[in-house]
Amino acid sequence: MKQLKEIARNKKKQMYLLLLLSVLTGAAVIAQAYYIVAIVDLIFLQGAPFQSIVSLMGVLAAVLAARAAFSYLNGRTGIKLASEVKADFRQSLLSKYRRNPVQASLKGQSGKKVSVLLDSVDEIDSYFSQYYPQMIQTSVVPLMILGAVFYYNWVSGLIMLITAPFIPLFFIIFGSAAQKKSEEQLEKLAAFSGKFLDILQGLSTLKLFGRARAQREAIRNSSLEYRDATMTVLKTAFLSSLMLEFISMLSIALIALEVGLRLVLYDQLTFFTAFFVLILAPEFYNSLKELGTAFHTGRGSTGAAAKVIEELEEKEQPVKWGNKQIEKRGAPPEIQLRNVGFSYGEGAFALKQVTGTIKPLTETAVVGRSGSGKSTLLHLLSGIAAPGEGDIVVNGETLSEYEEKSWFNELSYISQNPYLFSGTIAENIAVGVNETVTREEIERAADKAGISEMVAGLEKGYDTTVGEGGRGLSGGEKQRVALARAFLKKPSVILFDEPTAGLDLRTEQILQRSMKELAETSTVITVAHRLHTIRRADQILFLDNGLLAGRGTHDELMESVPEYRNMVAVQQGGDTG
Amino acid sequence: MKDLKIVMKLLMKERKDVFLSILFGFLAGAGAVALFANSGYLISQAAIASTLVVLTLSIALMKIFSVTRAVSRYGERYFSHRATFTKLSSLRVYFFERLEPLAPRVFNRYRSGDILARIVGDVESLQNFFLRVYYPPIVMVIVFLATITFTLFFSVYIALILAAGLFITGFLVPLLFALKQRKIQSELREMRGSLSAEAAEFFYGFRDLKLYQKLDEQEQQLGSVSNAYISEQEKNSLQALFSQSVNQMIALIISWFVLGAGAYLIAGGELDGIFLAMLVMISLTVFDTSTPMAAFPVHLEDSRRAASRLFSVVEEGESSGAEPGGGTTKHNLQEAPAVEMNNVSFSFPGEERKALKDINLHLPAGSKTAIVGPSGSGKSTLLQLLFKMYPEYEGEVRLNGRLVENLEDESIWAGINPVLQSNHFFYGTVKENLLLAKDDLSDEAMNDVLGKVKLSFSLDKQILEKGENLSGGEKQRLAIARAMLKGAKLWLLDEPTSSVDVLTERLIFDHLFEQGKDDTLVLISHRLTGLENMDKIIVMEQGRIIESGSYEDLMSRKGYFYEMKQIEKSVFA
Ligand SMILES: Nc1ncnc2c1ncn2[C@@H]1O[C@H](COP(=O)(O)OP(=O)(O)OP(=O)(O)O)[C@@H](O)[C@H]1O
Ligand SMILES: Nc1ncnc2c1ncn2[C@@H]1O[C@H](COP(=O)(O)OP(=O)(O)OP(=O)(O)O)[C@@H](O)[C@H]1O
Ligand SMILES: [Mg+2]
Ligand SMILES: [Mg+2]
Repeated sequence: MKQLKEIARNKKKQMYLLLLLSVLTGAAVIAQAYYIVAIVDLIFLQGAPFQSIVSLMGVLAAVLAARAAFSYLNGRTGIKLASEVKADFRQSLLSKYRRNPVQASLKGQSGKKVSVLLDSVDEIDSYFSQYYPQMIQTSVVPLMILGAVFYYNWVSGLIMLITAPFIPLFFIIFGSAAQKKSEEQLEKLAAFSGKFLDILQGLSTLKLFGRARAQREAIRNSSLEYRDATMTVLKTAFLSSLMLEFISMLSIALIALEVGLRLVLYDQLTFFTAFFVLILAPEFYNSLKELGTAFHTGRGSTGAAAKVIEELEEKEQPVKWGNKQIEKRGAPPEIQLRNVGFSYGEGAFALKQVTGTIKPLTETAVVGRSGSGKSTLLHLLSGIAAPGEGDIVVNGETLSEYEEKSWFNELSYISQNPYLFSGTIAENIAVGVNETVTREEIERAADKAGISEMVAGLEKGYDTTVGEGGRGLSGGEKQRVALARAFLKKPSVILFDEPTAGLDLRTEQILQRSMKELAETSTVITVAHRLHTIRRADQILFLDNGLLAGRGTHDELMESVPEYRNMVAVQQGGDTG
Repeated sequence: MKDLKIVMKLLMKERKDVFLSILFGFLAGAGAVALFANSGYLISQAAIASTLVVLTLSIALMKIFSVTRAVSRYGERYFSHRATFTKLSSLRVYFFERLEPLAPRVFNRYRSGDILARIVGDVESLQNFFLRVYYPPIVMVIVFLATITFTLFFSVYIALILAAGLFITGFLVPLLFALKQRKIQSELREMRGSLSAEAAEFFYGFRDLKLYQKLDEQEQQLGSVSNAYISEQEKNSLQALFSQSVNQMIALIISWFVLGAGAYLIAGGELDGIFLAMLVMISLTVFDTSTPMAAFPVHLEDSRRAASRLFSVVEEGESSGAEPGGGTTKHNLQEAPAVEMNNVSFSFPGEERKALKDINLHLPAGSKTAIVGPSGSGKSTLLQLLFKMYPEYEGEVRLNGRLVENLEDESIWAGINPVLQSNHFFYGTVKENLLLAKDDLSDEAMNDVLGKVKLSFSLDKQILEKGENLSGGEKQRLAIARAMLKGAKLWLLDEPTSSVDVLTERLIFDHLFEQGKDDTLVLISHRLTGLENMDKIIVMEQGRIIESGSYEDLMSRKGYFYEMKQIEKSVFA
């Protein structure tokens, strides 16, 4: 993404429009002064009758109207430009976030990202709606005024020419710190958002641990910090305006003195010229001053843009995909793991050297102690994370050769902690598939997941909204809604991460039946802690701290892996042997 | 409007700053008028070649006015912004204080991203309420009154024109735009809220969206919400710009009238020509304070909406009349409590169906109870009532014989070691998350407990948002560790080990029962093995307790529990 200045420069059409409007505004400002002065001069000094100024009054009215219209058009161009640029920035951010691999998406706080997406992008607005149009206007209008003043009275023109550069000098000195400060301000706001959203999610937890009150303090501090950061930004802006005000006031006073003296003492000027200069001088300095103010807001925007650009330029290692299609052979694909390894980073947990074959239509169970890497293995199989070593081979080709879409179409992955979206139950189930489905199909899937009875008891049935902002569900109900997604899709490969954890035996049995039915047309890979659910699996992979410690059927593992034997024994209520 | 009243009340806390803003605002406005009036007068005096004294005096005055104006403008801005931003931050705290008692039920009505938008964006937009709605009209009126009074000395007609100008630009035009504004209800704040809510969900549900190939769709959806939001912003800005330009034009036309009328009066000999330039300059300047009033309705409407969005979330808490913080009696934390529920029925807010029906339960101090039952039978709900998370139910809940209504919320919570069905971890280190349990825990104590739950984390390990870098079982174990560190006498555990392997589970339970041997403990579980040692097992179904008793009791009764045990046997066989 380009810097704001460049973006503005590339919008040629708007630039020329703004230039044209500035020239017209300049002309109107000068004409306004000219006619007012002419009228006052006629009436006051020359004692002309009222009729003589009627036509002048008419022209003046037209000039005034034109000036207001130009200023409207100028503002409008800026506002439209700002909208365009904001939309572009937000779109780029969105597509950057979309492209992020899952691992990267977990980093950072969601509230912060929301803040960048909303607040920082909004902050860019003023660069285009205020600073840029003002900048163009100020590079034209004061020059025209200067020309007019020089034409009538070169001494005043000279004073203007000498004093004017002090204004940009000052606002640049003051404004140079503004960008950093407003970056800090936005950073504080993002930090506040990140923290607040996290606190919101964990509010019950905080209450139960008696920390809610302490959080008030945290919120108070955090928002006071933001206030202070804001005030720092504003204070420099105000101080800079004060300085600009002083400079321009002094200069105006100087000019007034000059024209006054030359008018009275030396009779070198006419009243007309003097008054004309006196009306134009404030316009001249105002334009420069306004640029000063706009410069400050513009700096704020530049800071915001820097933050957005920084976010955009964050490099992430994406999961690689190719463009091969999964062949439809009438049966699910064969999956092979060849020395698959994966690490969450240096010194972090790593999965090592996992090898095995998952034949079509078989049931594979992944077992191991908590934290041994079962879910990690499913992440790799599903393709949301890519192995660091070795290959996952599907129908003889490495997984990364296939098109992402083609693989995901074959697959359902019900993760350990599935997310319920804010929407109806029907929508939440239908998320599992890409094509549109009928209500009957959804109901059938829900039935298989053992949730239909519960839904039937709801006033709005499948149209009940759940997820955030909707009706709460029990833990097991949430899980079953997510499971229904797989029953709806009927994919050829299914990954279940502890599908029945937290369900009672009877509900579990219903699900087991449905899962068995699914297994007739799909390859099923299940992570399970409840070992009875996987006894009949064709093969069991036993993971121990990231290593494949055993592979085989239940009976084989009972023989060869002591820890497996222990687990089964404990589960049945016996003692560890 | 009543929401804005709350904002106003908060504002009055910054009374001094408000007063100073108005004072300096007046000085700045009047200073500018005086300055330009003076320069117009000066030049006219100079033209008729009057004495040097008048000239010098004018020039001296001019300097005074310019300094007054510049300094006052600074003061006005400084004080008004300080008041505003202080108010905004207290508004955020005010909002959070009222939101907090409403958790968790408020999340059944609002999405967290939306609440975020309210506390960030809506509060932020309320700055316009003070900066553009609240005090500028006061300043405007005072400046105008002063100016009009001044012009009365020269010409009644000119004063009348200015008064008319004030009326039109300060009241009539804003009123007209306000009427127009009312017709086109601006959805700006709602749009921002929904953009924020959707974005938050995009990040939270990222993995599932990816797997279901919904990311593109969601991106497009977000893009179109964003575009709608931007075009609404644009509409509002254009509206404000338009009304301001109209007002500016009217102001210029008023000056035109002043010029015309002045010229007419001078030609008729009713006014001294020397004042014409001055009056024109006054008129050109004084409207600077009134032209921004055209945008008043836009800001007022926006503030009104922001305030009502903000307070509608927490209103429920105000109206229910429930004292925040609950009763006043402190709960005794020193000994294990007895827990009692008498004829308790409960339905979730807004639900017809009862989630709990006629619950009677009596758990003596130091007893160990298991609750089992099908998914959705109300087990977690029962715990929620013991946590006093839902204050409205029928029947009685007692701790140590005292009604929980009368107990202070905080002291109830302080007396519980909780493990929820789904536990929250905060972005931060393991240590920070464990320190929630209690202040001044030594590293040693924390490491010790981590060892008990078989976690080999270092205390400085970074935990990502919602514990996303922990495995399912690790999250549960960390939650148990946190509860163990708290050291209260009542354990309320909601399926604490459903994702933990049985070997680890057994080790953890050994430690847990060791630590809690004298405490009252309630455990929700789906695993029926190991329940033999519990004092009591409660079986729930469809919101009722259908069986309860010791393990032997239930087995000999051959009811629901017995049947489940048979199923278990058959699957294990
Ligand atoms: N995103 C991540 N970043 C860093 N480490 C992670 C991440 N996700 C998981 N881990 C670590 O990897 C290890 C294996 O995690 P995994 O989720 O695969 O375990 P698991 O076998 O599924 O355990 P459980 O049965 O408890 O769910 C754990 O120690 C965990 O802390
Ligand atoms: N916030 C809520 N609003 C409305 N209904 C709810 C809410 N939370 C839970 N319910 C409903 O109340 C009933 C009891 O839920 P509860 O969470 O107590 O079940 P549970 O016995 O803990 O089940 P599980 O074993 O699945 O966790 C369920 O039917 C559930 O749908
Ligand atoms: Mg796992
Ligand atoms: Mg539950």
